[in-house]
Amino acid sequence: MTKQKFTFFIVLIIIGLIAFIAFFGLKIGGSELPGANKMRYGIDIRGGIEALYSPVDYNPNDAELESARKIMETRLDNNNITDREITIDKKNKTILIRFPWKSDETEFNAQEAISELGETASLTFKDPDGSTLVEGRDVKTARAVQNKDSNGISSGYAVELTFNSEGTEKFAEATRALIGQNLTIYMDEIIISNPVVQQEIAGGNAIISGLETMEEASDLAAKINAGALPFSMTSSNNSTISPTLGQNALKVMVQAAITAFIVVCLFMLFYYRLPGCVACIALTLQVSGQLLALSLPQFTLTLPGIAAIVLSIGMGVDANVIISERIKEEINNGRSLKGAIKQGFHRAFSSVFDGNITVIIVAVILMIFGSGSILSFGYSLLTGVILNFAAGVLATRLMIKSLSSYKALQNPVFYGAKSTRQKEELA
Amino acid sequence: MIHFYEKRKLFFVCSLLIFLVGIVFIFINGIQLDIEFKGGSILKYQFTGDIDVEAAADTAEETLGRSANCQISTSTDTDVKSLVINLAGNEGLSSQEQENLDAALKAQFSDNQLELSETSIVEPFIGKQFLRNGIFAIILSFMLIILYVWYSFRKIGGLSAGIMSLAALLHDCLIVFFVFVIFKIPFDENYIAATLTIIGFSVNDTIVIFDRIRENMADNRKEKLPIDQLVNKSISQSLTRSINTNAAVFISVLIVCIFSWLNGISSILAFALPMTFGVISGCYSTICIAGPLWVMWKKRKEVKTA
Repeated sequence: MTKQKFTFFIVLIIIGLIAFIAFFGLKIGGSELPGANKMRYGIDIRGGIEALYSPVDYNPNDAELESARKIMETRLDNNNITDREITIDKKNKTILIRFPWKSDETEFNAQEAISELGETASLTFKDPDGSTLVEGRDVKTARAVQNKDSNGISSGYAVELTFNSEGTEKFAEATRALIGQNLTIYMDEIIISNPVVQQEIAGGNAIISGLETMEEASDLAAKINAGALPFSMTSSNNSTISPTLGQNALKVMVQAAITAFIVVCLFMLFYYRLPGCVACIALTLQVSGQLLALSLPQFTLTLPGIAAIVLSIGMGVDANVIISERIKEEINNGRSLKGAIKQGFHRAFSSVFDGNITVIIVAVILMIFGSGSILSFGYSLLTGVILNFAAGVLATRLMIKSLSSYKALQNPVFYGAKSTRQKEELA
Repeated sequence: MIHFYEKRKLFFVCSLLIFLVGIVFIFINGIQLDIEFKGGSILKYQFTGDIDVEAAADTAEETLGRSANCQISTSTDTDVKSLVINLAGNEGLSSQEQENLDAALKAQFSDNQLELSETSIVEPFIGKQFLRNGIFAIILSFMLIILYVWYSFRKIGGLSAGIMSLAALLHDCLIVFFVFVIFKIPFDENYIAATLTIIGFSVNDTIVIFDRIRENMADNRKEKLPIDQLVNKSISQSLTRSINTNAAVFISVLIVCIFSWLNGISSILAFALPMTFGVISGCYSTICIAGPLWVMWKKRKEVKTA
């Protein structure tokens, strides 16, 4: 019996801890659990660009699309835009890019940025004086290889370049002139490799060696291949949103969420008393869990995503409503409090379960078919419903069972049922 | 106990009247697709001072060779003025063209500190693809939910329960649809999200009631209540729950609605508003439509088998 009495406080403390981490995050040593304070917001809140690029008068294959993506990544890297999403649609030959406004950027020309990203990359091999000796179109292919010495022992990684006939000539000339000097490779104005020429290379095959990992080698090879791409990409399907607009909307939606939480809690407290109070605690667990499900994997949260959190506040109490109603009914039907609680949970479970499954179905469909902002809506809704099982059913049961073991809390009035005296009068 | 079944004709007439009003509004307002679905180009600039919208439209037309409709909108709380440029036609706009327009407008209204705040540019073929995906998503969720209800309630004639849930869902979807039409909210992805959410949530109510019917049927062996009374009893028993749950959801959505309306966040309002109506419809359609319809179905069967 005493064990059951403590359960409530243990559950309460656990929920308190989860809520604390959800709102403020947690730092242990070097690692950090990000909370709502480190939420990753979508571009509708932070401001940013979403652009769909398609190739201009050209039908690229999959590898060429990958290369085009590489160009865009390199350019974004160069602008320190690391928090971006790039998706290739191989069927429709398009590339979708989403990236937020940089926080320190006040004057950012979105339209110019969109145009620049899609331009053909200009790959150049330049001597130390900056004059161009070889160009991207002279390169036939570039591929990453493992560098082996004559004994077949690995000595790092390299990129193997193959030139076309014109390129072979130009490259031979360049290497002859630059032995012992750097032949720098640029994409646009960005240096992507700066090798030193060891000897004249006349055969049309060159090796850039000294790369530490296979990834580094593949990355460089991809960039060089990208520079040989014969097409540019343009975007006539895009949207931009300024950061000030989104920030204001975020503030409003957070206020709406807090207000909704308070009003729904008051409603539950007023209507269901003790189980209502438990419902509010369970709701805290549900919302905290939802926030963690977003912030821990740094899943993008958009305005519709916040709307889904508010929606699940309302939908979440459904389990508590069903259970509390049932307990009240069972008490009024003459069951003992303990029996009523047991029966209440038992009988309510199937409707809570069936009801939640249908919401899970639509949430998953929304995640599959929805684009950016609706994807976040689906995800928030899904996590809300799943957590509802843990909060609205499991945690609620532990708390109500524990609380009902206190003598002082056993009066049916606390459960919204008719008091013992009222019942006698009725009889 | 409330006699829902006996009042069924009143409920059916009510719903039909609402649908009739909706249909009338389709003729008055038409069905507007957002550029997200039909393609098109909208650009918004924030500015200070005054701008002649006619002049802005002329500049856009000169630069792009497409006629444009310009409007000024003022945010209610911040007094920020926005110039909204809506280009004619459904085509997108390349970023180069956008740059040209940007330069031309900034040159013409150099005193107004124009600042680009929002653009939304969609190619028609992308829009169509979006719309197709959305409709497919709605149909798919309809089917999956009906199958689920069918399976869950196989003991009390799952197919009939499934079909009655479908009727209730169609009712709610139509209500959400008409709210978009009546309030002239252009159909976009928000519509799909609102409809799917209402589908998932509204069937909840239906399930709770069928769950109660299933339970009462099992207990009914001794009492032998006729089917209509059994359904009335089941609905009445779960009525408080239906109303309270829907009230909680309604409160939440209404608060989002009010906050987004007061602050002019149209993207959220556009789906919170239809959702509030959807929630009410979800509650109503279960209690007043699905239950009585199911009784009618069962009674007809009884007559046939007798």
